[in-house]
Amino acid sequence: MSETKYFHAIQILQDNCTGCTACVRVCPTEAIRVRDRKATIDPNRCVDCGNCVTVCQFHAIIPSSDPLDIIKNFKYKVAVISSSFFGQFTEDISYAVAKQAVLELGFDEVAEEAMVTDFMISMIRDYIRANREKRPTLSSNCPAVVRLIQVKYPSLLSNLFHQEAPMSILTSYLREKISKQKNLSDTDIGIFLIVPCVAHVTAVHQPEGAYKHLQDGAFSTGMIYGKVREIVKKIQNEPPPIIDTYPKGLTWALSGVQAELVDCDDIRALSVNGVENVMDILSKVEDHYLDQYDYIVMRTCTNGCVGGCLNVENPFVAMSRIKKMIKEGENKETNVDDLIKLYEKGEFVVVPLTPRPIMELDKDIKNAIQKMKKINEFLTMLPGLNCSACGSPTCYALAEDIVLGKASIDDCVVLLKRHSKEEDE
Amino acid sequence: MQACVAVKYSMADYWNIAPGMENALKECFSRDAEADVTLEFSIPEKDFNNAGKGSSEVKNLLKRLGVDSEVLRRIAVASYEAEINVAAHSHGGEMTSLIYDDMIHIKFIDEGPGIADIAQAMVPGYSTADDLVREFGFGAGLGLPNIQKNSDALHISSAAGESTLLEFLVFFAQ
Repeated sequence: MSETKYFHAIQILQDNCTGCTACVRVCPTEAIRVRDRKATIDPNRCVDCGNCVTVCQFHAIIPSSDPLDIIKNFKYKVAVISSSFFGQFTEDISYAVAKQAVLELGFDEVAEEAMVTDFMISMIRDYIRANREKRPTLSSNCPAVVRLIQVKYPSLLSNLFHQEAPMSILTSYLREKISKQKNLSDTDIGIFLIVPCVAHVTAVHQPEGAYKHLQDGAFSTGMIYGKVREIVKKIQNEPPPIIDTYPKGLTWALSGVQAELVDCDDIRALSVNGVENVMDILSKVEDHYLDQYDYIVMRTCTNGCVGGCLNVENPFVAMSRIKKMIKEGENKETNVDDLIKLYEKGEFVVVPLTPRPIMELDKDIKNAIQKMKKINEFLTMLPGLNCSACGSPTCYALAEDIVLGKASIDDCVVLLKRHSKEEDE
Repeated sequence: MQACVAVKYSMADYWNIAPGMENALKECFSRDAEADVTLEFSIPEKDFNNAGKGSSEVKNLLKRLGVDSEVLRRIAVASYEAEINVAAHSHGGEMTSLIYDDMIHIKFIDEGPGIADIAQAMVPGYSTADDLVREFGFGAGLGLPNIQKNSDALHISSAAGESTLLEFLVFFAQ
């Protein structure tokens, strides 16, 4: 196993954990075990999808993001807002007001993911046309999908769109622009993301494939939401703020709409959301069953980023609001010449990603086969109920844990009960 | 079993061997070893809801053994195609995967109706798929050629009105 220490933006509060195993059952990579009645996460397996955060009823699994105070460490503070953010407000609160309120949290400038959507679409099309031999191209914007591919579908790593995600592209662009315009050094400029999910928090702290340091922190939408609402209340009845908005670009928050934008005469796009669906599709891509697609947009959350576990609104309501904004709004014209220059210079290229295999039983295939035989032996002894009461997600996972020395057959509650009954008789 | 006898006595006639793989094949059959792990899977007729699950199980098993990801993809493609073939064209059948420490041998035996002309079925684009099968997006006539392309040795025996045996081998080290 790899010795690399992986950062994760998920924390388990041992005192709150009842050992109920709800999280164990929803984890797509079987990363969680309950041992001694407390949940633990295997950092090598976790992909930061946030399923466990959503399912935990005891506030024992909590997302960690940075405290807002850290912006004070920088002279010039910039917030980059994820597109899903604007779906979090009731319709009486305008897009411009919500954006102005974020600025008034203490930032000098606000930028938003939606500003670069048009540029992203043309960059993605250009990339697909230049990389036809590697079809389908898999979108790399969702950090949980990227990690899922690293741990479970490593043969598809070369299919990933090997360019930065929009918020990172915006960050490099803003860094260059601000340091020139304001004559500031790189360390004076603090750039922070406002994000809808734990995967994005993790990506800021441990970016996969980035050549250089980009952002200085990530704030959860949920965490700043209360403060933003307070400011909204204050400014809502004042004259509308003079601030640029990019409603047409909000498509980025919705996985289906984004795919429709990339789709054209010579590019067929498919959109998939929800972690189970994403895994099914990745397995089919592995089987070359989806080679008819040129591009696949994948998001582990329902409907795309609007379904992120750090958002406050239901993903369908947020999607409906954003669709309304896209339909009714008009974009401030953006000049993307500078972005195109940076793209042509190769500024947005990312390092080819390496696999993070979690499934291998052993480096040596002969040993792996021996382990597999033992797993099958234990499996025949186990009841096959997949009840998770032992703390492993399934009977197969328990058999595997036993063989790998991480559990014992006595952990099986059902067997224990059967044995005690036999003794009584 | 009939197939195994044929393997031993007339290997070159029996297997359609990918170029360069003759020695590997000879070597592996001279060992006469039993499979380390065996997986069995039944494929009901026209059960498209579950078609592909057997291959997917094999794929997960091979990932646990640490088989190279590109080799794994070839096995996945060949076994998926073959499994779909059984579901789409036959009256149902069995898939048996024999896993050794250096290769996999997967056999598909169905309950008919058999392939009348195997040579014709190997031609890319040739298909006898009915409307139901096509509705599910299969039946493009690329199944058998694709299996051949992705395996190191392939054998098909069949005749009209009989059951079809399709088996292929893929070595882990390429």
